[in-house]
Amino acid sequence: MMKRRQLLKALGMGGLASLVTLGASRRSRAADPAPPPRRVIYFVTAHGHTPNSWMMPVPGGSDSVVSERPLTPVLRDELGLMLQPLHPFRDRLLVVEGLSNTVNLANIADALRDHTDPNNHSVAVAGLLTGNRVRQQAGVPCTGGARSIDQELALRTAAPGRFGSRVYGFDYVPNLTVAPFSFLGPGQSTPIVASPDVAYQDLLGGYVPPPTGEPRDRAQVIASLRPSVLDMVGREYEFLGARLDADGKQRLDAHRALIRDLELSLGAGPSALCDPSFSATDHKVTQFMRLVRLAFACDLTRVVTFVAPVPQCPEFGYPAEAQVHPYAHQAMPGGSACGAMYNPVAEHAIQDLGVWYANHFVYLLEQLDSVIEGNGTMLDNTVVVWVPELATPHHFHNDTFTVIAGGGNLGLRTGRYVRYPRTFTSPQPNHVLLGPATNRLHVSVLRAMGQPDDSFGLTSVPDSAGGTIPLVGPLTELFS
Amino acid sequence: MRRGAVFALLLAIGCGNDRGVAVSGIGPAPLRRLSNTEYLYALNDLFPAIHPALPPLPADNSVTGFENEAQAQAPSDVRIARFEAIANLYAAAATQDTAAVAAVTGCADWATPTGAAICSRDFIRTTGARIFRRPMTSEEEAHFTQRFTSWATAVDFSAAVQLTLSAMLQTPQFLYRAEPPEALAPTTDPVVPVEAYAMASRLSFFLWESVPDDQLLRAAAAGELQTEDDIRQQATRMLADPRALRLAWDFHRQWLALDRIMNDEHAVRTSEIDPAWTTATQTSALRESRMFIERSFAEVGTLDDLLTSRRAWVNSEMARVYAVDGPPDADTWVEVALPEDRRAGILTRAAFLAGYSHRGGTSPPIRGNAINLRLLCQLPAPPPDGVDLSMPVADPGNGPKTNRMLFAERTAGGCQTCHHALNGFGFGFESYTASGAYITQQAGLPIDASGTITGTDVDGPFANAIELSTSLGRSKVVHRCAAEKWLQYALGRMPTLDEYGLVDEIGTRFIASHGDLRTLLTEIVASQTFRMRKQPAP
Repeated sequence: MMKRRQLLKALGMGGLASLVTLGASRRSRAADPAPPPRRVIYFVTAHGHTPNSWMMPVPGGSDSVVSERPLTPVLRDELGLMLQPLHPFRDRLLVVEGLSNTVNLANIADALRDHTDPNNHSVAVAGLLTGNRVRQQAGVPCTGGARSIDQELALRTAAPGRFGSRVYGFDYVPNLTVAPFSFLGPGQSTPIVASPDVAYQDLLGGYVPPPTGEPRDRAQVIASLRPSVLDMVGREYEFLGARLDADGKQRLDAHRALIRDLELSLGAGPSALCDPSFSATDHKVTQFMRLVRLAFACDLTRVVTFVAPVPQCPEFGYPAEAQVHPYAHQAMPGGSACGAMYNPVAEHAIQDLGVWYANHFVYLLEQLDSVIEGNGTMLDNTVVVWVPELATPHHFHNDTFTVIAGGGNLGLRTGRYVRYPRTFTSPQPNHVLLGPATNRLHVSVLRAMGQPDDSFGLTSVPDSAGGTIPLVGPLTELFS
Repeated sequence: MRRGAVFALLLAIGCGNDRGVAVSGIGPAPLRRLSNTEYLYALNDLFPAIHPALPPLPADNSVTGFENEAQAQAPSDVRIARFEAIANLYAAAATQDTAAVAAVTGCADWATPTGAAICSRDFIRTTGARIFRRPMTSEEEAHFTQRFTSWATAVDFSAAVQLTLSAMLQTPQFLYRAEPPEALAPTTDPVVPVEAYAMASRLSFFLWESVPDDQLLRAAAAGELQTEDDIRQQATRMLADPRALRLAWDFHRQWLALDRIMNDEHAVRTSEIDPAWTTATQTSALRESRMFIERSFAEVGTLDDLLTSRRAWVNSEMARVYAVDGPPDADTWVEVALPEDRRAGILTRAAFLAGYSHRGGTSPPIRGNAINLRLLCQLPAPPPDGVDLSMPVADPGNGPKTNRMLFAERTAGGCQTCHHALNGFGFGFESYTASGAYITQQAGLPIDASGTITGTDVDGPFANAIELSTSLGRSKVVHRCAAEKWLQYALGRMPTLDEYGLVDEIGTRFIASHGDLRTLLTEIVASQTFRMRKQPAP
């Protein structure tokens, strides 16, 4: 079986990621006989999206019950601006209206906040994928207070030689502090790999092929001893850890486990017939999208979080001196102090930014759909969740934009626009009624990934009327 | 534990005669991993002749404002992969040819089995001691000898050196600052002195952000890091070493968040603010602040100088921003004296002024916040929900207005509960644009940079940022706040409640020294909490 480095060498790529361009539409067959694995991608964008760029009417819908509308017959122009680029995939989409980042509202209502997070960006970033209380330290923007959903799934789907997850993308700096969305644990950001070249090296540059009987040069022999070095290093962690207190030992044990994972990954080649080629050209976002396809096709990971960039304004057609953040504040009339600043140019800018994101999102879907797996494609075996940091550009946390793509083989019934009623009293007084919490979206993803959980993060939060808001259970309406 | 009880305990364990601060508790000593800066400085100091191109490390978590927070140092697969890659790069570069192998092993005759055995033993012991920052234990030496022999057999002697170096650079003995209790003499005392080699590392990683030098390791071996006087003596030596400049820069960079200037928002300034602003201006502003802080620390070393000095090192970009004569290009840096009526210390430099601005204008509350939070250790209340946080814009129909006038209108009335202090500080910097340039007029109106200091021991009116900085430079509150932040940086954690007496005492000595930073740093390393540790519970 041709292993990773041999394959790269055969392709003339050596250990470098210079590489061969493959057309995005090309379909390749990952021919492993085993059933395709379940996978998940979180596609996270900054700020929020204007409702008029994605919400749509549901004929016969009601404010009190879940209602839905099929997307298959919908014409492109009937979709909001942001969803129009997704029209070719409408039968593979679940557009979900009405979800609320309820935990964020509870955190804002209850938790210590100071001037370091005046717009609640840090609260939103910390809560989006954790669904939990934030970690707060006076004078410093808050951060994630628990393991995020992607890292929870990473732990559950990791296997020897396979990365638990990959977190790719761009540093998001809402309060002049990098906000990663993904957390290994309380206060522990998951590192984001920001360079596609480095990401590629992580995936495929380290493979050490086993001896084949053919003569090897000295450098190859030294490289073949990397697992031996890591084995020895790992034993030093055990040796020293045994001499430390419980906290110290726990820290070294965690480090040691990751060294063991790395050691195993050096000996684990990609799936025999997967295509490891990668083109380090074009926009970085599209490079990352291709890397996701590659990582999944070679079964090097099953969980990816992609933090999309906040582009400079010329990238989506606006002046270089303009900024996304002020545009966001001014993008919607009414409803908040931001509403007083409404500027139609800003509204158009944020809509166009959403379209810019949507075009990249579609490219990702095309990549996944280009790999045939079983009776479908990789997209059918992958839940792709697009969630923004905030629900709306003017910093609301309710009625958040939610698009799920793929997952047709994982129990999701796609091709629908699903509207949830807003029936829950908010944790914040004098606030609007809320739909189901995004914690339940996380539970739904867990279920699609074959996990039995009924909850993720907090299980309930108090509302402002003395009651509680349940956060448990999947969104059953999303499933077949 | 009550302060008196702690003091009695310290007397009971024989520490009562120390002159160091001994009046408060000793907090936890969690296992600390090297921060990114410490790791890179350590590699640089261990291999000063080698400078391989390195992959980027994942950013350190900064949950309490500093990058060396022990509780935020959980490993990740990406970090472990980077540590391995970097270890391999250094190991390969250090053994790239025979001469390099001879240099790194200190041995030239490994051709014979006997020679190879001697060379490998000496290499493992000597290099291991440098990388582990202490002599290897016999078990550790056996581990490495066994692997070295195996690798030498599989490839050759040089390859074994390379692989051994790579392994050593990935061990917890290098990457973590373990202080195993077994290194101490058996005792039932609940609080014990830090073991000598661990003390050497505590000193070096705080004062140099790197590994101990040979002199420090020799002092540890000779039992010369036991007394308070020993520690003070070493601190005096180390603070006179150029490596202490790393500490000066990295602490102030993080304390004042000076590297905010490198965030994307500051890559651009609007044409109304500064049409010539480029990313070169951005990077120059950060470098200028570094040169200023390092020279201030090296040549004066007081908090007051940091807040009032007019000395600056400028290139063409900074000379343009400061409107002074300077070199013709961005690569040449020269010392200048900034105008007496325009600049005083780090708060009037571009990295601070522009870093705490928007690309299209200044925000007095943001700059004021920085003073409150970072120099006074005061936490302002959050703005009320729904408050308008946008930049105020003049209504053309109401005539010209300065930025100050617009913000004063925006924050009038009930907002003054908080904004009285915020604006009070922030308005003082209105003579500086969002790029840090000095102006006297705005919208055709004269700039009013006067204000009032409140909530400190130097309350009162000031005419401009010069007077504000001068007052802050002599404020006891500012000195006490700085002492607290320095102690946090030294310990890699927030001081515990039990240690706040220590903060007060160190702050008092800092003030008595007229803000001498070397005095402050020496008091910190001489303190009980730095020199002692609690025994782990059985």
